[in-house]
Amino acid sequence: MADAKAGAGNAIVGMGRGSYAMLLAFFLGPAVVIYTVFSIYPLFATIFNSLYLRQPDGAYLFNGLGNFQTLLTDTTWSVPFWNAFRNNCYFFFIHMLVQNPIGLALAAMLSLPRLRLRATYRTLIFMPTMLSVVIIGFSWQLILSPLWGISKMFLNALGLGFLFAPWLGQESTALITVSLISVWQFVGIPMILIYTALLAIPEELIDAATVDGLNQFQAFVWVKLPLIFPTIGLVSVLTFVNNFNAFDLIYAMKGALAGPNFSADIMGTLFYRTFFGNQLQLGDLSMGSTIATMMFLIILVGVMCYLFLIQRRMQRYSF
Amino acid sequence: MSEVKIEKLCKSYGPVEVLKDINLTVGDGSFVVLVGPSGCGKSTLLRSIAGLEPVNSGNMTIGGRQVNDLPPAQREIAMVFQSYALYPHMDVYNNMAFGLKFAKTPKAEIEARVNEAARILQLEPLLKRRPRELSGGQRQRVAIGRAIVRKPQVFLFDEPLSNLDAALRINTRVEIAKLHKMLKATIVYVTHDQVEAMTLADKIVVMNKGRVEQAGKPLELYYKPNNLFVAGFIGSPAMNFLPAQVKKGGILALSDGQELKAALPSSCKAGDTVTLGFRPEHMTLGGAGKFALTGIIDIIERLGESGFAHVRLPSGHTVVAEVRGDPRTGSGQSAKLTFDADYLHIFNAEGQRLD
Ligand SMILES: Nc1ncnc2c1ncn2[C@@H]1O[C@H](COP(=O)(O)OP(=O)(O)OP(=O)(O)O)[C@@H](O)[C@H]1O
Ligand SMILES: [Mg+2]
Repeated sequence: MADAKAGAGNAIVGMGRGSYAMLLAFFLGPAVVIYTVFSIYPLFATIFNSLYLRQPDGAYLFNGLGNFQTLLTDTTWSVPFWNAFRNNCYFFFIHMLVQNPIGLALAAMLSLPRLRLRATYRTLIFMPTMLSVVIIGFSWQLILSPLWGISKMFLNALGLGFLFAPWLGQESTALITVSLISVWQFVGIPMILIYTALLAIPEELIDAATVDGLNQFQAFVWVKLPLIFPTIGLVSVLTFVNNFNAFDLIYAMKGALAGPNFSADIMGTLFYRTFFGNQLQLGDLSMGSTIATMMFLIILVGVMCYLFLIQRRMQRYSF
Repeated sequence: MSEVKIEKLCKSYGPVEVLKDINLTVGDGSFVVLVGPSGCGKSTLLRSIAGLEPVNSGNMTIGGRQVNDLPPAQREIAMVFQSYALYPHMDVYNNMAFGLKFAKTPKAEIEARVNEAARILQLEPLLKRRPRELSGGQRQRVAIGRAIVRKPQVFLFDEPLSNLDAALRINTRVEIAKLHKMLKATIVYVTHDQVEAMTLADKIVVMNKGRVEQAGKPLELYYKPNNLFVAGFIGSPAMNFLPAQVKKGGILALSDGQELKAALPSSCKAGDTVTLGFRPEHMTLGGAGKFALTGIIDIIERLGESGFAHVRLPSGHTVVAEVRGDPRTGSGQSAKLTFDADYLHIFNAEGQRLD
């Protein structure tokens, strides 16, 4: 065994430069090629495109950062852009304030020692995450429909009919409704991640806390919670990245116009309309790329802030 | 007074009975060690005393106070866990102070107690460190410190030394013995290690399959084991057992025809089947003891100042005898084993000691 290993080591040491390169290419090549073709190239092509402006004759002219200036200052572009940005932030905050706390609470409940039917709950809560967004969007549209939606009948049956409103159709409620549906769909992800982290905490630590006089809830807050901060940080970053890349649920429920009056418009839908065009709006490669680059930058800045400001101060614990 | 009294304690997990009718008294200031094979319920008993496991029936008092329905924190106990269970996100000081803070102890008092414990355990230079910046032995001391600051009536230790290396284990064992003297603490201590049990304990409790087999002073268990289980469990290498038949006139006949003559206890009747037990260190290779057995030496394990000869008797049983020095005899040779009748243990067919 040891001999075989040493033999393999010698084989690499004694290898010619050429054959070593071949070996590297053999093992790393496929990953590098796929990653380059589907990730690195599109990213750079997008940034490249955002620097050019389409002339009326169809030619592309280098425009420097002009497109960005247009996007941020020319009201034709900046109003929808800032609207989408604001909505997207709102979308993100709702996830942070609703999805992650609920995910945490569910994980805490799942890890209660005396819980029965644990696996059933876990699967049920995780189920929506596995369903197609189109199905989710369509189902909820039916549920919330003012004409035949079950939610209206349900509220009526409880004598709470006056509470019903066409939530998806009102400018004031469309975004929050879509956000909450997205929360409902994805709450299983923070739950599973946090649940796994909670499982890694040894029982004896909680026993020690119990002997120290803490009840289950206090032990959770003072012992378990600090130990899973790294996971909560990770969940937050995942939420941020996913939310600023979100598109499908809103497109499935509200179409590309994310109406009424763009009230549910987020970066993804804005980009889609701009790049591919929609109804009377013509597709615009340059401005579309500019928006895509802005999305990339926003996410980059967010993730960097997390990495440098938060993660560096956090410690991972091994037990 | 911090006497622990356990009466008729029973505990089961579902249909599995883990503790069966445990009766145990831990005197004020005494050091009681629980030993027994893996899975016999030592940890469960300790955790029941701590209040970490609910019990099915029975009565527990600590310092005269019934504690059955009290939560762990109000039982005035402190527990040291096998994995130390230090809070990884707190420094040493806070690990020790955490419980006191929750009990709303005044700040000055907390500081005084933690500093005192740190002084006793030589943890003063480490107070600002996190557990992961400590060695195993240091973590162990912090865990003990966390127990000391609670000023409990009873300390509970669950295999506290099993994660330490051999040298450190001996050191810490001595430390714990000193600590026990200094604090005059009442201690219940679980271990797998015979030496720990023999050296630390005022009283050893041997458990097997959820029952207490015997409780008593270490040497009492060693020289007068109540039954076969205790006899085989205490002592290393284990006691030798040989089946024998009682014959008329105080003769014990082994299955291979060898005979021993002894002053038999009155409860022994001719025709009884008994088990004889004798410890390796009470047997000599050669020599002129009153009793003698002959067999062939299989192997001699030499440890330096002494060794263990494994001798196969004609009946096929193997007996282990301690040999002093460096005997000339070697494997394959026939040997005569002699031993003193005073050290012969006789057990009846049910495995109970006959006296
Ligand atoms: N949560 C549980 N559910 C069911 N059975 C359990 C549970 N905890 C322990 N047991 C059983 O109870 C018995 C006693 O366990 P315990 O941990 O007290 O043994 P122990 O004497 O401490 O063993 P060890 O020396 O290996 O630590 C074992 O047979 C174990 O399988
Ligand atoms: Mg145990």
